[in-house]
Amino acid sequence: MFLGLTGTSFKNGGGIFAVIGEGLALAFGVFVAIEEVLAPGPYHDRSFVWLALPDGTNFVMGILVSPLGALMLIVVNVVGFLVVLYSLEYMEKEEGLARYYAELMLFLTAMNALILADNYLEFIIFWELVGLCSYLLIGFFWKKPEAASAARKAFLVTRVGDIMLFVGVFIFFTSFATATAGGGVNISPYPGAVCPSHPITWSCSGFVFAPPNADSSQPFLSSSVLTGANSTLMTLGGIMILGGAAGKSAQFPLHTWLPDAMEGPTTVSALIHAATMVAAGVFLLAITSIYIGFTVDAAMVILAIGGFTSLFAGTMGLVSRDIKRVIAYSTISQLGYMTMAVGAASLVVLGPGGAMFQLFTHAFFKALLFLAAGAVIHSVGSQDLFTMGGLSKAMPVTAYTMLIGALALSGIPPFSGFFSKDAVLSLTWSAVQKYPMMFPFFLLALAAVFLTALYIFRLWFLCFGGDKSRATGDQHVHEPSWIMQAPLVILAALSVVVGFLPLFGGFSGLLPGAASWGVFGFTVTGGHIAFSSAPDLYLSLGSLALALSGITVAYFFWGNGKVFGLPENSPLKAGQTVLVRKYYFDDAYDGLAHGVVLGLARAFDWFDRYVIDGTIHGFERVFAAASTKARQAQTGLVSSYASWIILGIVLIVAFFLYGVPHLSSLWGGG
Amino acid sequence: MIPLEDLLIYSGLLFAVGVFGVLTRRNFILLLVSIEIIMNAAILNFIAFAAYSPSTTSLGGVTGQGIAVILIGLAATEVAVGLAIVVALNRIIGSVNVSKAMELKL
Repeated sequence: MFLGLTGTSFKNGGGIFAVIGEGLALAFGVFVAIEEVLAPGPYHDRSFVWLALPDGTNFVMGILVSPLGALMLIVVNVVGFLVVLYSLEYMEKEEGLARYYAELMLFLTAMNALILADNYLEFIIFWELVGLCSYLLIGFFWKKPEAASAARKAFLVTRVGDIMLFVGVFIFFTSFATATAGGGVNISPYPGAVCPSHPITWSCSGFVFAPPNADSSQPFLSSSVLTGANSTLMTLGGIMILGGAAGKSAQFPLHTWLPDAMEGPTTVSALIHAATMVAAGVFLLAITSIYIGFTVDAAMVILAIGGFTSLFAGTMGLVSRDIKRVIAYSTISQLGYMTMAVGAASLVVLGPGGAMFQLFTHAFFKALLFLAAGAVIHSVGSQDLFTMGGLSKAMPVTAYTMLIGALALSGIPPFSGFFSKDAVLSLTWSAVQKYPMMFPFFLLALAAVFLTALYIFRLWFLCFGGDKSRATGDQHVHEPSWIMQAPLVILAALSVVVGFLPLFGGFSGLLPGAASWGVFGFTVTGGHIAFSSAPDLYLSLGSLALALSGITVAYFFWGNGKVFGLPENSPLKAGQTVLVRKYYFDDAYDGLAHGVVLGLARAFDWFDRYVIDGTIHGFERVFAAASTKARQAQTGLVSSYASWIILGIVLIVAFFLYGVPHLSSLWGGG
Repeated sequence: MIPLEDLLIYSGLLFAVGVFGVLTRRNFILLLVSIEIIMNAAILNFIAFAAYSPSTTSLGGVTGQGIAVILIGLAATEVAVGLAIVVALNRIIGSVNVSKAMELKL
C-alpha cells in the first residue's frame, strides 16, 4: 500500500516514467481494492506520531483503507493511468513537459494519500496539496493571462471552501473531546470509547475514519448522538464541512472556478476536474456522513445545495459555445447529484453508497467525454462548438466513444450512468417521502435529467452531426493515434460495464448502504431478484423518459448539422444573456472583491500610514526635541561644569546627612 | 567666647563666597583667589575646632593648630601649581579669560 503511494512519487523527465509509475500505482490500487472486496472491513495502520504537544496531545499520521477508500483508489488510479497514457500524445508538442508530468504525478500522489488518510488532519494536508496541484496545472500555460487568472480564481474560491472545512473540522474536534478517568482527553463521539494507546490523538477512535466497533456492517453513528443539546453545533459543523466540499466540488455558490479552469490542458480537465479532485469533495461528505454523521438539518442543506446546483449548472451548460465548458458545467451538475445523494442518504439513515456509485460511474464517462473532446480539439484546433460539425465521418472512433459517454451521462440503459442516476433519484425520493419539504429539490433534480440529456446531445450533434463541417479555414481532421484512442475505448467499455458491478456482492461491500442494486423497481440482493416498490418503477421509467425526450429535443434543434440560434427579437434572448453571463455571478464576485476587499484594504492602509507610522514619527519628534534641549548643557564653559559638580556634591552630602537615617528608620533598621 | 557654631557658620559663609567666586569669575587669577578663599575657610574650621577643645595643650588643640599650619603650606603649593596652569593656558589661548577655553564643548 505504501508502494501504491510512492509509485506515484514526484517524477521529473519524460512521460514514459509517468506511465510506468502510474501503472504501478494502478496495479497496487486494484490489488488493494480486490483485497478489500474479499475481506471486507477497514484496514488500519497507524504509523507514526507526527507532532506531540506537551500536554499529551499527539497528532498521528496513519493509513486507513476503508471500503470507500478502496473504491476511490480504483477510480483515481484507473482514470489517472489512462489520462497519463493519453497525455503522451496529446501533450507532445507543448513545452514544459517535465513540469507537466511532475505536477501530474504530485497530484496523483496527493490524491491517493488523501484517500488513504486516517484522520482529518492528514486529510486536510493532502486536500490542500491537491488544490495546489490543481492551481499549478490550470495555470500550466501561464503565459496566457486567462490561464493565470483562472488558476488564481480556482485557488481563491476553493480557499474559501477550505476555511469552512477547517472550521468544520475544528468544531467536531473540540466538541468531541471528553475527559477520561485517567486524566487524558479523549476525542471520540462515542461516550465511553477509549483510545488504545495515546491519551489524545487526532486519529483517536471515532475521530479517525475507523468504525467504533469491530462490526463493520454498522459503521455509522446512531442518530441519537447527533440530536440533543449539541445539535446546533453539529449542524454548523456539518454545514461547514459541506462548505469545504462545495468549494472543492464546485457547488453553488463556489462553482465559479470550474468553467474557467478549462484553460488548463484537456488531460488535466479530465483527470482533476472531472474524475478525481472534484470527487474529493464528495468523498469528504461521504466519509463525514459515515464516521461523524450529519444532523437532519445539515443533511437537508446538503441535499438542497446539491439539487439546486445540478439544475443551475445545467442551464449554463446549455448556452455555452466552448466544448470543454459544456462538459465542465455537466461536471458541476453531476457533482450536484452526488452531493444531493449524500444528503438524501443521511436523511434516510443509509450509507453514502448511492453517491459513491454515481461518483464511480461518473468518473469514467466524464473522463471519456473530456478525453474525446481533447481528441476533437487536437485535430480541429479550436474549442468553439459552432466551428465543428460533421466529424463523425472523419473520426469514427472518437465520435462513437463520445456517443457512449453522452448516453451514459444522460442515463440511458444499459450504460452505467442509468444505474447510478437511478440510485441517486430513488435515494432522493425516499428522503422526500420522509421529509416532504424537500420535494422541490427532487423536481430540480428531475429537470436536470432532462437538461443533461439536452445539452450533452446538443454538444454531440453540433460536433459530430451532419455531413459537412462548419469550420473556417482548413483543418487536418483525423483520428488520433492509438495512444489517444486506447484510453477512449477503454473508458467507453468501462462506462458500459461498471453499471452492472454492484450485482457482485463483493463489490457492493465497497458501497456502504447500497447493498442492493435496483432499477425499474427490481432489486437484486445477494442473487435474489425482488420487486421492491412501484414508485421505484415509475421513477426509473420517468427518468428514462425525460432523458429520451431531452435527446429528441436536442436532435430537433441541432441534429443533422442544423445550428439553432435564437432569432434576434425573441423574448428568450434576455434569458439567454443571463445564462451566458453565468447569472452574473462572476460580476457579483468581482464587485464584492472590489467593494469589500479593496475597501477594507484601503482602510487598513490608511490606518497603517497615519496611525502606526504617525506614532513612530511622533516618537521621533519627541526624541529629537529632547536631545536638542539636552545638548544645550554642553556649554564648554568650565564654570558651568564646575557648578554642576558642586550641585552634585551638595546633593550627595544632603542624601547622606538626611536621607540615609530617614530611609533606615523607614525600613525598620533592616 | 563666641559659640562654636558661630565660628562654623562664619567659615561656612566664607566657603560659600569662595564657591560663588569659582563659579562666576571669568579671570583665571581671580578663580585661583577664590579657591584660596575656600581653602582658608576650611583651615578656619580646623582652627575653630582646635580652639574649642578642652585645653590648648591637649591632643585636640595642638593637632588642630598643626594641621592648620600644614594646610597653609599646602595651599601655597597648590597656588603655585595653579599659576603654572594659568601661564600654560595663557600661552595656548592667549588670554586669562576663562570663557575663551572652550575645548570641552562638544
